Amino acid sequence: MSHPVYKTDKSLELFKRALKVLPAGIPGHLGPVESQFIPTRAFPFYADRVKDSYFWDIDGNRYIDYMCAYGPNVLGYNNPVVEAAAAAQREKGDCMALPGRVQVELAELLVDTIEIADWAYFMKNGNDATSFAVMMARAATGRNKIIRIEGGYHGVAAWTQAAGRPGVTDADVGHNIILPWNDVAAFERAIAEHGSDIAGFIATPYDHRIFADNQLPAEGYWQKIRQLCTANGIVLIVDDVRCGFRLDLAGSARYFGFKPDLACYCKAIANGYNISTVVGIEALRTAAAHVFYTGSYWSAAVPMAAAVATIKELQRLDGANLMLAKGKALTDGLVSAAARHGLDLKISGAESMWYMRITNDDSLMLQQEFCAECTKRGVFFVSHHNHFINTSLTDDDIRQTLEIADEAFSIVAGRNPQRLNK
Amino acid sequence: MLDQSVLARCNLFGVLKNIEYLAEHDPESAAFLPERPLSIRFAVHGGPLATLRLNPAKADMLAGRHPATVVLGFASPEHFNRMVSGKANPIPLKGLHRLAYLTGPFGKLTKRLEGYLRPDEATLRDPERFRRSAEMTLYAAMFSLVEIANGDPQGRRSAARIPDGVLQVSVAGSVGVRIVARGGQLSATKGYDPDPRALLHFASLQAAADIFSGKLDTYTALATGDLEMRGYIPMIDNINPVLDLVAEYLK
Repeated sequence: MSHPVYKTDKSLELFKRALKVLPAGIPGHLGPVESQFIPTRAFPFYADRVKDSYFWDIDGNRYIDYMCAYGPNVLGYNNPVVEAAAAAQREKGDCMALPGRVQVELAELLVDTIEIADWAYFMKNGNDATSFAVMMARAATGRNKIIRIEGGYHGVAAWTQAAGRPGVTDADVGHNIILPWNDVAAFERAIAEHGSDIAGFIATPYDHRIFADNQLPAEGYWQKIRQLCTANGIVLIVDDVRCGFRLDLAGSARYFGFKPDLACYCKAIANGYNISTVVGIEALRTAAAHVFYTGSYWSAAVPMAAAVATIKELQRLDGANLMLAKGKALTDGLVSAAARHGLDLKISGAESMWYMRITNDDSLMLQQEFCAECTKRGVFFVSHHNHFINTSLTDDDIRQTLEIADEAFSIVAGRNPQRLNK
Repeated sequence: MLDQSVLARCNLFGVLKNIEYLAEHDPESAAFLPERPLSIRFAVHGGPLATLRLNPAKADMLAGRHPATVVLGFASPEHFNRMVSGKANPIPLKGLHRLAYLTGPFGKLTKRLEGYLRPDEATLRDPERFRRSAEMTLYAAMFSLVEIANGDPQGRRSAARIPDGVLQVSVAGSVGVRIVARGGQLSATKGYDPDPRALLHFASLQAAADIFSGKLDTYTALATGDLEMRGYIPMIDNINPVLDLVAEYLK
């Protein structure tokens, strides 16, 4: 079955207007360059509206959205339970001179839900959370250095970026020690060299960097890291901003069987409402209270009400396991469809937020062609980043995705006969 | 701050290397090539060493020491760079009998090169001269990029992050440059690779010229398809900061 190819002329027209008044046209990670829209004309640039697992672009095309706004869409866009809770709070007040009652209710819910949480502290973005966690580690230990993992993404603050990037100075990153993923020996060497000055170790629950197969922790990796952190007075921080609630509602750390000191959450906690949090252990409560860290909108009540409703819905649905199962059904189907056309599709990471790559070349060109052909027909895939499942994804969405993927694989195979499996 | 030694390498292996192109593609330049073979060695104290081989119909810029009819010495990279800017003279160390060629036809050849790399309106209006100008500009930028990536401190830092492979830079209906990355070191050759790991493709010479002159920004060009990138994007992503430096070095 052949699926119609979308036109996205209105997106391009609006983008040209945007270029005159917005740096890069669409600043940040949603821009066509940062989003790896390759070729750009295969992709829409602007969304008009959303519902459940879909967005509609401004040309009126509907897409099954596997980016889920890069993670926040966890229950389906405009989930009625979440929207009702947000609306009820909005009636009472959102950004106020004092926090709402809901701030306490959300903190209690997080403490009850996340295994290591004895307290919660709220902010707006993942970057706010990771930067706060790093400040807390320094405040609690009186040390300077932070261990982080090569290729790990913790936001956009200068300390999270690489020296030499525009606007990033050597001083900004001077206290970072960058280690390979899954390398306990490298951590031991870093402790031997800098041990008395290492404040914290920050990493995502597994290696979900872009442009590369994602890697789960090796057997015993996290347990050994935990042991070394404890023995050397180093604060262990898990950046659960991307994985959070898609592996385990009690925290991705519990999924992998270890207990960090701090955990950062953002994307999935309020189904698209803007809020993030750091949760931590009792021993770091004082440090959390003493670090001065705040913002104009950080106590806004509507996102907190949305977060309460989101977490309760995820509990009711057993959301993490539901998304893992849906992801498994989808990715199994994608692998089979690729194989039918002589292509090898490798799936890595957790199925609820899988990374996929056609391995018949090492340049990602086949992967880029595949994602473009899918997107042109209504399945929104990007080639560089892991994708996301949300709980509203239906069996029919998966079936339609697999049909379109089959057509896209067929096109890619037809264009690249020399690359196919024999 | 520009590294003068890197700038000298850009001037030699990015800018003056285009004399090769002039000899091959610019009929008017033929009159300024020597009637019998001539090799000019540029010996820059504390900087690069290169030899420009000129024949009646061909030119080659070679890195390193090669047999030379004429040797031009420079006290420092700064001295060489001032010479390129027309603000200093070289020290002739050998081949004084060919001095008349250097001050005469060779000077006209380099003037012609400058005319293509800093084109006036008349050059831009003439389709054939525009093509030569745009192609030489692309070559100057790409070969200078390699020098900056290998020599400039900031460039080296970016180059260290470039994954191994071939980046193919190409212009529709025009020329291509293969940039090879190996262990954080770059090299470049003219032409096309059968199996590049990443592609940076300009849809037309006009698009390439507009992007290099700053008339067209890359975000617009990528959105409209005037510029296309494909393949292993971390290669291009880490080359971009070096490209920014090219603009600094060659302005």
